[in-house]
Amino acid sequence: MKFADMKDSFKEFWAEFSKEKTGVIGLILFALFVFIVVFEPVLLPFEDANDRWRDITYWADNPKSAPPVWTNWFSSKKKATTESYYDYTTAEEDLGGMKVVEYTFDYDYQFDEAPNDIILHMDVTGAPMIVVKVVRPDGEEVEVYYGSFNAGNNTKDFRLSVDNNSRDILYNFAVPFENRESLKDVKAGLIKTTDTLFAKAEEGILRSPVSLKGDYKIVIQSIFMGENDNVESPYLIMPGKVSGVLGTDSSKRDVWTGVLAGVKWALLIGILTAIVSVSVGVVYGVISAYLGGWKDAVMQRVFEIFVSVPLLPVLIVMSAIFEPSIWTMIGMMVLFFWTGSVKTVRSMALQIKEETYIEASKALGASNFRIIFKHMVPLLIPYSFSSMALFIPRAVVYEATISLLGLGDAQIVTWGQILSDALSGGAVMSGLWWWVVPPGLSIAFMGMAFAFIGFSLDKILHPKLRTR
Amino acid sequence: MYWKYALKRLLNAVFIYVILIFIFSALFNVQMEQTVYAQIDERIKQETMQLKDMKPDEIREWAIQRKAHYYTVYSLDKPVLERVFIRAGNALIFKYGNSSLIKSSSGSRDVRIIVTETIPRTLLLFMTATILDILLGFWLGIKKAQKPGKALDKTTSVITMVVYGMPSWWLGMLMIMVFSYIFKVFPSGGLTSTPPPPDGSWAFFIDSLYHLILPVITLLVIGFWGRAFLTRNIVLSTLQEDYIMSARARGVPERKVLYGHALRSAAPPIVTMGLLALIVSFSGNILFEGIFSWPGMGNLYWVAVQQNDIPVLMGNLSLTTGLYIAGLAILDLIYGFLDPRIKVGGKA
Amino acid sequence: MEKIKMKDSRNVLEVENLKLYYKVSAGLVKAVDDVTFFLRKGETLGLVGESGCGKTTTGTALMHMPTPPGYIAGGKIILDGEDIVPLQEKELRKRIRWEKISMVFQGAMNCLTPVYTIGKLMSETLHEHDALKGIPKFSTNPKTSTRKKNASARELMIKYLNYVGLSEDVLRRYPHELSGGMKQRVVIAMALFLEPKVIVCDEPTTALDVVVQAQIINLLKELKEKLDLSFIFITHDLATEAEVSDRIQIMYGGRVMEIGTNQQIYGKQGPMHPYTQRLLQATPRLHEEVEELAFIPGTPPDLLNPPTGCKFHDRCDVCMEKCRTEEPDLIEIEADHYVACWRCRG
Repeated sequence: MKFADMKDSFKEFWAEFSKEKTGVIGLILFALFVFIVVFEPVLLPFEDANDRWRDITYWADNPKSAPPVWTNWFSSKKKATTESYYDYTTAEEDLGGMKVVEYTFDYDYQFDEAPNDIILHMDVTGAPMIVVKVVRPDGEEVEVYYGSFNAGNNTKDFRLSVDNNSRDILYNFAVPFENRESLKDVKAGLIKTTDTLFAKAEEGILRSPVSLKGDYKIVIQSIFMGENDNVESPYLIMPGKVSGVLGTDSSKRDVWTGVLAGVKWALLIGILTAIVSVSVGVVYGVISAYLGGWKDAVMQRVFEIFVSVPLLPVLIVMSAIFEPSIWTMIGMMVLFFWTGSVKTVRSMALQIKEETYIEASKALGASNFRIIFKHMVPLLIPYSFSSMALFIPRAVVYEATISLLGLGDAQIVTWGQILSDALSGGAVMSGLWWWVVPPGLSIAFMGMAFAFIGFSLDKILHPKLRTR
Repeated sequence: MYWKYALKRLLNAVFIYVILIFIFSALFNVQMEQTVYAQIDERIKQETMQLKDMKPDEIREWAIQRKAHYYTVYSLDKPVLERVFIRAGNALIFKYGNSSLIKSSSGSRDVRIIVTETIPRTLLLFMTATILDILLGFWLGIKKAQKPGKALDKTTSVITMVVYGMPSWWLGMLMIMVFSYIFKVFPSGGLTSTPPPPDGSWAFFIDSLYHLILPVITLLVIGFWGRAFLTRNIVLSTLQEDYIMSARARGVPERKVLYGHALRSAAPPIVTMGLLALIVSFSGNILFEGIFSWPGMGNLYWVAVQQNDIPVLMGNLSLTTGLYIAGLAILDLIYGFLDPRIKVGGKA
Repeated sequence: MEKIKMKDSRNVLEVENLKLYYKVSAGLVKAVDDVTFFLRKGETLGLVGESGCGKTTTGTALMHMPTPPGYIAGGKIILDGEDIVPLQEKELRKRIRWEKISMVFQGAMNCLTPVYTIGKLMSETLHEHDALKGIPKFSTNPKTSTRKKNASARELMIKYLNYVGLSEDVLRRYPHELSGGMKQRVVIAMALFLEPKVIVCDEPTTALDVVVQAQIINLLKELKEKLDLSFIFITHDLATEAEVSDRIQIMYGGRVMEIGTNQQIYGKQGPMHPYTQRLLQATPRLHEEVEELAFIPGTPPDLLNPPTGCKFHDRCDVCMEKCRTEEPDLIEIEADHYVACWRCRG
């Protein structure tokens, strides 16, 4: 087919296709997926998520199992969101042999429920003294940390988590305000530091804290005594009670990041499997129909054997034996998926075979190869496309199923992997819907998009089913 | 005519089954044997513990002898190909040996019992769902075919496409989350409550029904749109046939045209598709059963994979494959029966 | 319901100003545009023309079964003293279709429901029609037992199967067990057995091979003689038309161009309408030397936007000024010979 011919038939096809609303929507969704994949580096809130999905240190500063930020719209009590602060004011003081450097972070707290923690990072060299205090709007100052950190001659990252560190300190701070009765029921080691830190200094501060809204200052006071001592580049992270577009899971991973990262794998698995399977199937069907006779019969027998295999159980066993990387998974799926189109293709090919122009080609001396690939297969291309589109969701679901059974490729972040973690992380029982719904919904969405495309293509191919 | 066709089909099925069993046996031979080795060692250990009055050397000698003895009994001393054949042969007569890890609910370790007792439970769930699916899908499909392109048809078609890629097990997870944990309306899984009501009693029946509802609804929500869509397409394309117009011209009332001429002609593919769905669901719903903790074949398979219990795995796999192939064959037979072109044969 | 008097008592069918249009998104396709003709008892009227001229549509219109989105936009179809155009579907189904007028469809191959036996198909048709006048043994009296009814029905079916040269064995068979020719005979038998006044045959032989074609045509001629039937025979094959028809109607662009007797059209004198003349010229003769195949240049008219004036004017080689602007009516040039052409008057 000449290029000009292809362009024309494509224009014709497009005129038809654009009439199908669902098809166009499917195409738009597909474009959206491609967009996400292409712009992933920019879109991901956590850039290294792909490589460090299972690295706990990467996610350490996130809250655990936090619902998405927008759930705040639906409740009257606003929960604190996860925030990070990189701006601070510096104050230096030189006192002869010592140098004091103060970094102050401003935090305007307007929520009804306090953040989960206050986490400070700073690059420390040497062994300076570090004091961290929080200045509340009501004037109270709480010294949450007092100590030194020895980094030796190197520069190391010092991470301070107030929640881990300062329970006793906050307890002691709160005791004077609380009433006796309540104090009996409260254990120092079990209080929620931040709830108390951000609460009004009155009765109930430990048992049922009420938010103290206002301007908070978090001050890092570092005292340098030695020559090497230095503290710089501090930053503040407040893991909130709600976090991110889709919340976090029980390993503190941002779900939205996971969902975005999963798009490319879903597309890869789906499209690759579909293209290869359908191509193999179509060629197999055409050749089988064309050869006819005993060759056809043998090919059909082989086909029947493959078809008689219950797919999932065998896939599972094979995954258990051969270690699953994404490529072996695709390979195994192709191994069984190719049978899907064969029957239809074969009957279509049989019809084409009866056409006189095939006989004519043979009479003219065209080789079998030429007839099959130049005359018969191109006729099946429209069917192939609609077939491929409808195969993609199946492949994506199969991968997800295998991953959920724990047999998937744990190195990569697929939606199936996320769901697998959700299942083993008890998301269903704990009602962590933001963990369960988005990845599954993404699978469903992708399935829907390709179903739209595939069925629209199908409609165009079978005008009989069209209704006026 | 039909008998010839039927026989051919059945023989075909058996042939394929045999080949597959051989392939499986060969593939999993190594794993199978590891289990057998382990079982033999266990046995010998037990036996040696019961021995008294023997010196360590003698015990060792005796153990080696016993091992050789067992190896012969289990044909482990024969060449690989022969072993594969023997194992395959065993599998074909459903002799799967014993499991070392899993017990059936009656306490037996015989793989055959373990596997076969799960079959009715799987059947219960999926047959119920499929029958409802076919009935509802069929009914909706016909309704859609009667007014094609109108509101009902269009909206249901869109819904079909929306749920096309939705994994049934995910929907299951959602349903459980919502209806079992958030709103505590339905049980979160299992076939019966613990402790189960007395077997065979009315309460047992109700209890099972109660446990069936959530999984069946989940399956229906995803499945029956597809059925309706398929039915609609097949019926519509049948209605375009010349013989329908001819029937109308001859004065056959519309109702008879639709339900008699059209549906009867369209029945073979519709019924076959429906049953095909049932058969496929048989093997593919390991995860679904897992999510609902439904003690069926799929769940057993999953447990066996996790615990690396090869005998149960092989037994389950063989049975599943066997049922699958049998199902496909029966399907062909039913189709042949419904379509007189095949049933009566003659000039095509 | 009052009987409409037929213009000529010899007629069984009179069609006046029949219009059948198809409603499509682009507008109206005027497939049959103001067509008038009649059919006498015991004769075969042939409808001839190129593809798309409206002959098949006329056929389905006569059965009052336009293929959607077609609809009858106007005119009268007077069949046995009754205009069937305004009748409701229920009436048509019960009294008119198959009893007064039946049809042998194009592509009879696929006209028989594959899942029913011939016997079931035939008896079903019989049982759906209550008024079967003139067939003494078939009783619609509810008091008559089913067994008796069935027996009578069976007799009738066998009688007609015999008419078309088939044995009663056929009743047990499924359509796919029969050859093309046999199926065609069954379809003919079914069209006849309620003894309708008019039988419309739409290309009944087109899909068959030549030998079977000849058999079927002979059969139709026989039956016409024997049972005094009135046919409308639609085809594009002029040769077959010549064999079968008593009078021939040539259609073009949804209009009637010429109606004449077999002699008038095919005889020495030849047809009068330029289109008919060209049609006949385009058919190669077996016994003549043909240097070049004659054909009519141009393409059939677009029925969505038909040309003004005479529909044939842009392809006519004797076209006059008047032909471009005014559409000629069908007028009787000589006895039983009607022409719609400006050139052919006076």
